[in-house]
Amino acid sequence: MKKSVIVLLILLYLPFTGSAQQKIEFEEFTLKNGLHVVLHQDNSLPLIAINIMYHVGSKNENPQRTGFAHFFEHLMFEGTKHIPRGEFDKYVERAGGTLNAGTSFDYTTYYLLLPSNQLELGLWLESERLLHPVIDSTGIATQKSVVIEEKKQTIDNRPYGRILYETLKRAYTQHPYRWVIIGDENHIREAEDREFEEFHKMFYVPQNAVLVIAGDIQKTDARNLVEKYFADIPAGAKEIYRPEASEPAKTSEVRDIVYDNVQLPAIIQAYHIPSQGDDDYYAVEMLGNLLSQGQSSRMYKSMVDEQQLAISVSAIPLGLEHPGLFINLAIPNMGIEPEALEEALDKEIEKVRKELISENELQKIKNQFENRIVNRNTTIASRALSLANYHTFFRDANLINTEIEKYMAVTREDIQRVAQKYFNKENRVVLYYMPESENN
Amino acid sequence: MKNLFIIILSCLVFATNTQAQTDRSKAPEPGPAPTIQMGSYQTFTTKNGIKVIVVENRKVPVVSFQISLDKDPVLEGDKTGYIELAGDLMRSGTLSRSKAQIDEEIDFIGASLSTFSSGVFGSALKKHQNKLLEIMTDVLMNPTFPEEELEKSRTQQISSLANVPSNANAIASNVSQKLRYGDGHPYSEITTEETLKNIQREDLVNYYNTYFKPNIAYLIIVGDINTREAKKLVKRYFGKWQKGEVPRHIYPKPEQPESNRVALAERKGAVQSVVTVTYPVDLQPGAPDAIKASVMNSILGGGIFSGRLIQNLREDKGWTYGAGSNLSTDRLVGSWRARTEVRNSVTDSTVTEILKEMQMLRESPVNTEDLELTKSFMNGSFARSLESPRVIASYAYNVERYKLPKDYYTTYLEKLSAVSVQDVQEMANKYLKPENAYIVVAGNKDEVMPTLAKFSKTGDVELYDAFGRVIEQSDLPTGLTVTDVLEKYFKALGGKDKASGVEDVKIDLTASIQGQNLRITLMNKAPNMSYNEVSMNGNPVMVQYFDGEKGGISQMGSKMPVSDEMAKDMAFQAAVFPELAFSDYGIDPKLTGVEQIGSKKAYAIEYQLPSGSKSIAYYDVESGLKLRSVTFVNTPQGPVEQSMDFENYKEVDGIKFPYTIVQPMGPMKLQAEVQNISINSGLDKASFSMP
Repeated sequence: MKKSVIVLLILLYLPFTGSAQQKIEFEEFTLKNGLHVVLHQDNSLPLIAINIMYHVGSKNENPQRTGFAHFFEHLMFEGTKHIPRGEFDKYVERAGGTLNAGTSFDYTTYYLLLPSNQLELGLWLESERLLHPVIDSTGIATQKSVVIEEKKQTIDNRPYGRILYETLKRAYTQHPYRWVIIGDENHIREAEDREFEEFHKMFYVPQNAVLVIAGDIQKTDARNLVEKYFADIPAGAKEIYRPEASEPAKTSEVRDIVYDNVQLPAIIQAYHIPSQGDDDYYAVEMLGNLLSQGQSSRMYKSMVDEQQLAISVSAIPLGLEHPGLFINLAIPNMGIEPEALEEALDKEIEKVRKELISENELQKIKNQFENRIVNRNTTIASRALSLANYHTFFRDANLINTEIEKYMAVTREDIQRVAQKYFNKENRVVLYYMPESENN
Repeated sequence: MKNLFIIILSCLVFATNTQAQTDRSKAPEPGPAPTIQMGSYQTFTTKNGIKVIVVENRKVPVVSFQISLDKDPVLEGDKTGYIELAGDLMRSGTLSRSKAQIDEEIDFIGASLSTFSSGVFGSALKKHQNKLLEIMTDVLMNPTFPEEELEKSRTQQISSLANVPSNANAIASNVSQKLRYGDGHPYSEITTEETLKNIQREDLVNYYNTYFKPNIAYLIIVGDINTREAKKLVKRYFGKWQKGEVPRHIYPKPEQPESNRVALAERKGAVQSVVTVTYPVDLQPGAPDAIKASVMNSILGGGIFSGRLIQNLREDKGWTYGAGSNLSTDRLVGSWRARTEVRNSVTDSTVTEILKEMQMLRESPVNTEDLELTKSFMNGSFARSLESPRVIASYAYNVERYKLPKDYYTTYLEKLSAVSVQDVQEMANKYLKPENAYIVVAGNKDEVMPTLAKFSKTGDVELYDAFGRVIEQSDLPTGLTVTDVLEKYFKALGGKDKASGVEDVKIDLTASIQGQNLRITLMNKAPNMSYNEVSMNGNPVMVQYFDGEKGGISQMGSKMPVSDEMAKDMAFQAAVFPELAFSDYGIDPKLTGVEQIGSKKAYAIEYQLPSGSKSIAYYDVESGLKLRSVTFVNTPQGPVEQSMDFENYKEVDGIKFPYTIVQPMGPMKLQAEVQNISINSGLDKASFSMP
């Protein structure tokens, strides 16, 4: 009798097919001024997340003002018509909340995490800085210094900190992805006060934003409060600057050597890939997993474990609104020549181009994606960010629930096809990132 | 129909809004504060002694298992790093699975599995939980620590360590760790290439066999699972894990320094300094002071944007992107540290400001508004942390492991709200020590070093390398070069022209060792011939020569092989004055510092012999004369140091030669006295061969 129970138990634990993902419910509407709003109610804990995403990133910058979008993000914490300088953060922290923001190539996002009884405070704060931020010259001067220190800390003073900078400026010749988000510190220094007002007028307008509220809310109340604080904010009058997606296709490989204060070299290969959301993009992303996700992945297993050529290897797609890059990055083990490492990277790429991956490998990658997607949206803050992101770039917040199907639909043939289509020598930049000591 | 309703509703709402203009001038009032409920957990203990904590949370179909060993830290000494390696390598092979098989099986189910020196963590979708447990318990109970995996990891770790000197954060953290806990404490140990090379497979196996026992283990299960199911799984998968006696270790408590000490570690080319102010504190987890002290630390710089350090250094001065402080509790010894990264030119001003903020919090009571803000922020952080079931599990783990009252966390908010202005000042005086701190800077030595001496009571700035090892102080005058030192040396000898004019030299010396009389003859002839002979009681015991093309060695009458490498070095060393032959052999000498040689200060010039062996020569700062030469000869057992001291210089035909040469031989010293020196006596080429 006992045995049969165990058998039954085992049956219960057998893998079942179908996705383990649980549906995330939400409701959305658009105000007359164009502000799109998404509400996701989850009353399990008395917390809320407010995320406002503006469709402006470093790619919307003037090439003479690189880093401006990120710099502007800093200034949005300075104060508003009704909030004196230095008080914005205090309102949030005094309410038991926390706040931050982030700038990417394509978007700028701000979030407030608050106890649920402070929803109105959060909406007041966000609406204030959308409607009438006040940025005085003291604030500008201070944040200029802060941002320059941020650049030093994250790029100049970090080993390998300049990798992306050096890669992008060679991969793109026309497209504004050719500069990094943090930009050029001289551009930041030169920026004049009036430019901030112009930037705000063009990009920080309701029709260029999506507001997501997630967590312990009642939808009707939340909606009323959103109306109260955002409905009377005027829509922007200017045409929003959106750069062209085009970057001329590469006709030959770009190859270069750069030197930095590191002890071990790094090899970088950057292939141009389609934009996020493109059918091919999903296959490219899965190809990234095949190559470097987990210790059984092809590159890790062969280059780190078996041949011991590298101490680390990664193959990561940079999925962006416009066509992005797929970056292979490897750091050699002691005494291994960079050339040997590059050859090994090429061999793995060549293998995917030549042979179909196995059924088993495809299943493994799908399982990895399922796990990743299930674990991605476990907090209200992460759900709010995902909803904002899907709306901003695809006008389809429901991708939070359905995007997994795109991954599951990818076939072995798709992976081989994208490998053949994008992973060509003429479509890439190869960078040898060498120790300064070898620069003779 | 539903849509229509929404449209009507929204029109109504819109209408109300247009009628009553929103008052934006004041912050809206909050609603009633919500009650914060902490998720619950359950515990049970298995027959083999595992203490199990279960936190059920069914939001997502994910479950995680963590084994955590409650053991005392272990001192690793000259094998530092072996404990971490033992942890890492647990998932590199078991009795029934190779590393590749483990990797493949874990990746196939999209799971994660990590092993540490103090436990194992695995997480997977619910539907893969049994497969995960099967592999996880296999690595937990049957690891084999394959020799080749150890070699692989060792090489990788040594490679990775190569980048530490470029990483200012890693440097600052190494030096802080070393100073805060002091030698002989397990928290101060830092893995280096040397310690990694000392590790053997046996060390890993012994560690595993000693400490991976169920009777000191906690198993923390979190996620889509209830206690009933957990009990069954634990019995099935962890039931066979065998108990064992585990040793305890006690260590002396590290003390705060008696006065401020300043430590600098160089990060070449740095454009920012990583500034840390730190010291050990005696603060146990759950101690009565813990919550009060953490409020005090938050006001200063604990994760809050309104914190004084970030407001001062970033928002007021614009010196940094971030600044903060951290107070950590620990059963052995806790720590406090403030940390920021600032541009080079404000490094010392930053230290001043940090010390000032510490002092201010000690001297002046905080205003109620600041205190209330901080308490609200901490209240909110605690509430937000409860969103993660793993955090709830970690609270449960703390309660069990540190024997805290069961309601420690459920009453946390009450205790937080009771913290007063007086409490904060009391805590500041107890835990902020602006006069008993280590001030650690990792950055651009040339630019910042002179500005830091003022913070140390003795005026000393101690120098450390990237791994927290003391660097003997050298006070090299700025701008001094190798050429300067060598020119001074030749001038002291009697002039470079004189030295270059020496075609040959023969030196006879005598020495005695253990009652035996030795005669030593040293001959050199330009450009590269040499002959050295040592004879005891008239019999040659050692002969070494180089005839300009090939060399030979004979000891006690038997010939020793001379490798090509050795021959290259012999050729160079055969020069009458090797300093004059540097460029002929492509040797690039470097001036590395000033060191103490006996009672004298000497400039150290380091260079590589043609074979690659390292050699250092020391030149008296005052007289310019060479005091010592050291060569590190590579042998299969590692580099062996051969050193020679030169004393008692006397002039012969206008050039000075040392009349006493001292060579340490193990614990003894061989002291040789010159009896005669003849210069340019026309030594025959034939003398430079085996007699």
